[in-house]
Amino acid sequence: MAEQKVKFMVNGRSYEIPIEPHMTLVEVLRDKLDITGTKISCGAGECGACTVLIDGKPALSCLTLAITARERNILTIEGLAEGSNLHPIQKSFIEHGAIQCGFCTPGMILATKALLDENPNPTREEVKRALAGNLCRCTGYVKIVDAVLTAAEKMRKGGS
Amino acid sequence: MTRPLKPFDYFEPTTIEEAVQLLRKYGTKAKVLAGGVDLVARMRRRQFKPQYVVSILSIPGLDYIQSDEAGLRFGALTTIRSIELSPVVEKSYAVLHEATNQIASVQVKTMGTAVGNLCVATPASDIAAALYALGAKLKIAGPASERVISIEDFYVGVNETVLKPDELVAEVVVPNPAPQTGGAFFKLVRTAADIAKVNATVNLTVTNNTCKEVRIALGAVAPTVIRATRAEKALKGSSLEPKVVEEAAQLAAQEAKPITDLRSTVDYRREMVRVLVRWAVEKAVTRARS
Amino acid sequence: MAEKFSVVGKRITQVDAAAKVTGAARYTADLKLPGMLIGRVLHSPYPHAKIKKIDKSKAEKLPGVEAVITIDDTPKILWARSFRDLPMAPSGSLQQSDEYILADKARYVGDPVAAVAAVDEKTADEALDLIEVEYEKLPFVLDPWEAKKPGAPVIHDFAKNNIAVHVTPPPFLVKGDVEKGFAESDVVVEESYFVGKQVACQIEPHTCVASVDANDRITCYSPCQLAHPFRRELGKMFNKPVGMINVISPFVGGSFGTRLSCHNEPICVALALKTNKPVKLEYTKEEDFTATDTRTPHYYTIKMGFKKDGTLHAFTIHTTTWSGGYLGRAQLAGGITLVWGLGHYRCPNTDGWCDVVYTNVPLGGAMRGYGNPEIMWGVEQTMDIAAEKLGIDPMELRLKNIKHAGEMSNMGLPIESSYLDDCIKEGAKKIGWKEKRGKRKEGKIRQGVGMATMTHCSGAWPLLIEHSNAFIKFNEDGTISLMVNPGSPGTHIWGTLAQIAAEELGIGVEDVNIVTGSTDVTMFDLGSHASRSTYVTGNAVLEAAQQAKAQLFERAAKMLGVSPDELEVKDRQVYSVKAPDKRISVADICFNAIWALKGESLNISGKSSWTSHYNSPPTTAYFAEVEVNTETGEVKVIKFITATDCGKAINPMTVEGQCEGGIQEGIGYGLTEDYVINKKTGVVESDNFTTYKMLGTLDMPETEVIIIDKPDPKGPFGAKGVGEPGMVGIAPAIANAVYDAVGVRITDLPVLPEKVLAALKAKSA
Repeated sequence: MAEQKVKFMVNGRSYEIPIEPHMTLVEVLRDKLDITGTKISCGAGECGACTVLIDGKPALSCLTLAITARERNILTIEGLAEGSNLHPIQKSFIEHGAIQCGFCTPGMILATKALLDENPNPTREEVKRALAGNLCRCTGYVKIVDAVLTAAEKMRKGGS
Repeated sequence: MTRPLKPFDYFEPTTIEEAVQLLRKYGTKAKVLAGGVDLVARMRRRQFKPQYVVSILSIPGLDYIQSDEAGLRFGALTTIRSIELSPVVEKSYAVLHEATNQIASVQVKTMGTAVGNLCVATPASDIAAALYALGAKLKIAGPASERVISIEDFYVGVNETVLKPDELVAEVVVPNPAPQTGGAFFKLVRTAADIAKVNATVNLTVTNNTCKEVRIALGAVAPTVIRATRAEKALKGSSLEPKVVEEAAQLAAQEAKPITDLRSTVDYRREMVRVLVRWAVEKAVTRARS
Repeated sequence: MAEKFSVVGKRITQVDAAAKVTGAARYTADLKLPGMLIGRVLHSPYPHAKIKKIDKSKAEKLPGVEAVITIDDTPKILWARSFRDLPMAPSGSLQQSDEYILADKARYVGDPVAAVAAVDEKTADEALDLIEVEYEKLPFVLDPWEAKKPGAPVIHDFAKNNIAVHVTPPPFLVKGDVEKGFAESDVVVEESYFVGKQVACQIEPHTCVASVDANDRITCYSPCQLAHPFRRELGKMFNKPVGMINVISPFVGGSFGTRLSCHNEPICVALALKTNKPVKLEYTKEEDFTATDTRTPHYYTIKMGFKKDGTLHAFTIHTTTWSGGYLGRAQLAGGITLVWGLGHYRCPNTDGWCDVVYTNVPLGGAMRGYGNPEIMWGVEQTMDIAAEKLGIDPMELRLKNIKHAGEMSNMGLPIESSYLDDCIKEGAKKIGWKEKRGKRKEGKIRQGVGMATMTHCSGAWPLLIEHSNAFIKFNEDGTISLMVNPGSPGTHIWGTLAQIAAEELGIGVEDVNIVTGSTDVTMFDLGSHASRSTYVTGNAVLEAAQQAKAQLFERAAKMLGVSPDELEVKDRQVYSVKAPDKRISVADICFNAIWALKGESLNISGKSSWTSHYNSPPTTAYFAEVEVNTETGEVKVIKFITATDCGKAINPMTVEGQCEGGIQEGIGYGLTEDYVINKKTGVVESDNFTTYKMLGTLDMPETEVIIIDKPDPKGPFGAKGVGEPGMVGIAPAIANAVYDAVGVRITDLPVLPEKVLAALKAKSA
């Protein structure tokens, strides 16, 4: 099918680029827009490394046809910090040592954001449930869950 | 990396009629796109190679959960997540809540539609099993008039339904539960985020200490989800004493036709049908009586 | 010894974390070079087949395809993923090179047969489908016992009965007289075990970018953990001096030993040479699972003889290592099971052997622990079997037989430090060993506790070369560049090395800029394996820092008019201990050293070319509390405690992270990760995270990490290795706990509910 020019809103910026319908959102982000923070791993919807937020909801960008995400608000990991001010979730991950190789981190952080936007005061169990679709091989998830709970507390207090 | 998909022509009809017409035109060369979780993954593995993809995402009015005297109804674009979070489902259709709640990935539940899951027609579908136990019906839209069939008549075999190439499942309808009805859903998995090795769903009604109605649905132990009808017969009309429940569980195990695959073995699956059915009956009875 | 460290022992955050949380960190697949092509590999669909003909013509004609290569387009030089046909061991032992860059014959489903480079992914993908390969299918064998039999299909002409090599233990582990020892023993236990293939499951798929410049220098961006040895191997393969090759390490998304080896890099380099353009070759996750490597699987028999007081008296291990179609790292993985197994406990009579057998399955590699998790699965279960026969508590049996400082380590050198007894006692207390062990309740769900222990290594001297270099230069502002190349798959090693340098130099961790990731820039480092980086590269950093400090003090002494001997440095200030008012900042010293206009300029620096002559083995004890559902056979780990002796913990947060991640990996190894190969076709059925299950958040138990934190005399600031110990003894602790709970013992992992239920039924029958 012929290429068509499609408008994307990524991290608050507007892009208009030619795409074909068979392109997935993760390929468009990484290859066409050079926004490479979103990672590809399993390509099967199992690992969550490709997680982005579309209109605030967590989506697997490797299984999303890019054309279905047009003109919707897409948030990737690059869009979380404000300039050099890291988001409380990002700061908390760093402080807790919740990042080792870092490859699962973008997806993990965005899934966290989706959780905390919906539920600002999650229990430990609720945090685990919210991250059950994000695989990590390095950390055993322990410090990740700790980091999310700390971030939630800081965000509730309005701090950073 | 992830393999690029093979190119296809793409359509976004805005009515069901338009969608059905496209499907009629392109037949087996077309696939329907809703959540895309299963479709895109299979296209990547080249298990599907559609030349045409018909998205129903632009058709309004397909994403709803409604509950009234007629029962519970949800549409073709109702996500698994919204069913999971629905208070009315949690309150009155416990097995459907449990089936959706025990799917691990939030992303999959947010993107994926329940109808889409049903149409994949995996015999391990937790949602299908729960709907079997609830006596659900499917409204199918096609070029002629709508038809309504029992979910049990929907499945033919592994990944095979009765849907013709130019048909769509438009709605799922679940009858209102009778008073003193209780249900329970159990599944066994290797890890929390895995397809069921076995699942068992029981929905039953207890009146005056007698089992008035019962449905037992088994998943992942036959080419489709199945009803354990002999087990149901043993329970119906009984007082649900442990001995009868155990006997029914044994019958259910015999009715199952499991295989060995990378998730589990024939023998284990059969034995687990017996265990899960007993658990599900016991829990359903407790819920029915409360 | 009361220590008052400034930064060592502190929970310092990692300097590369900011790049990772913002998406700025570039991994190999994120790289884009001008004119870059996309590479893809065609793999054999058959487990054993002659390649009769490859017709590239249709693929070559596809617009946008710039190269299609087969074995004829590559140097026909055999190589080894282990880089081990080039001597790396003082003993001189070598591993056969048995692979070509692209296959001459298909020896497993996944064997690379051809490759393409094209302008984009779509074209490369299409081109793959257009390559026509004519195979002649051959009989295949998937099992090492069948492969050893006469008449089995011959996989490599040089390997009689498909036995690649027969390995014996190093001389220091062939001790006494084992036959006599068993005869003298009061209790003898013999048991056989099987450990299957475990997949590394690092989230980042294996990716390489290669390019050639106008001077014919090759640049290879690769996640390979052993950059310098890899460079040497590439030089051998492509007939280029190492000085003409630069290996660059971008951020790496996990390795767990699978990236000790290179996998698709030689193919990528071949494509770059053919097209004279940069090529990016990214594997899919399925290719990771089938065409890189897995933990090497083995069958082995353990025999242990004890005196009635529990003293271990005789010990043999006989291993049949189940190699794939090529050796990968299976030779060392097999041989080293003898070292870990026979070397852990004190025993006067030890011996063993290992046959490494070719079969037509994907390759065996060096996954985290490199044979130690594999063999301790059996050793620690055998210990529990013996404990029951002897009537001795399993914990007491360990305490009786573990080695202490001064005794000979598993690597044949005196143990510099060991606090395994502390690990055992503290872990046992925390899990409630005395309260819970043997208290099997009746009922459908039963609890049990179990334990395991292990000894690993901090680098592999004297079995392997141990060499690392570090260079420190001071900037004029008192900060440093620390040039090292340990490789970092995500283990926080840069932070650890920065802490070591900062502690010695009296500056802040934030004053340390790590320069790494290029073999052009950095001096030799063996790389990241054998839990060596903190201990060996760390010691290199410490020595380099000591040298730099000496230069700093020499300049400061002149500036202050004192003797260098009376100087100390703390909080970025150099001062005289005799007269603390006499002080000057590190920054001022460094600035003056360069910009002194009296003709005495000096860029203060320090260099260390460190060779390790010691081995300080880390030790760890593991305690599992499990719940077994007797109706379903399911084993649930309720709590897991890892008590680790890694010397002085340079960064406790890092040590915890290694152990917590190790628990995830170890429970998977023990309970859920099942690599399934179809017996009829040789195809791997469990080829992605959908079919091969590692633990997610909801599967993890409550965990606790106990860090004994007692310093080792030879480690930098007392540190020992910790990367692998975190994983080694998890699975046998769980198996032993299952036995405590329900009295059944599963000897082949994973401990699937299907196996437990069948064992329970057999037991009650």
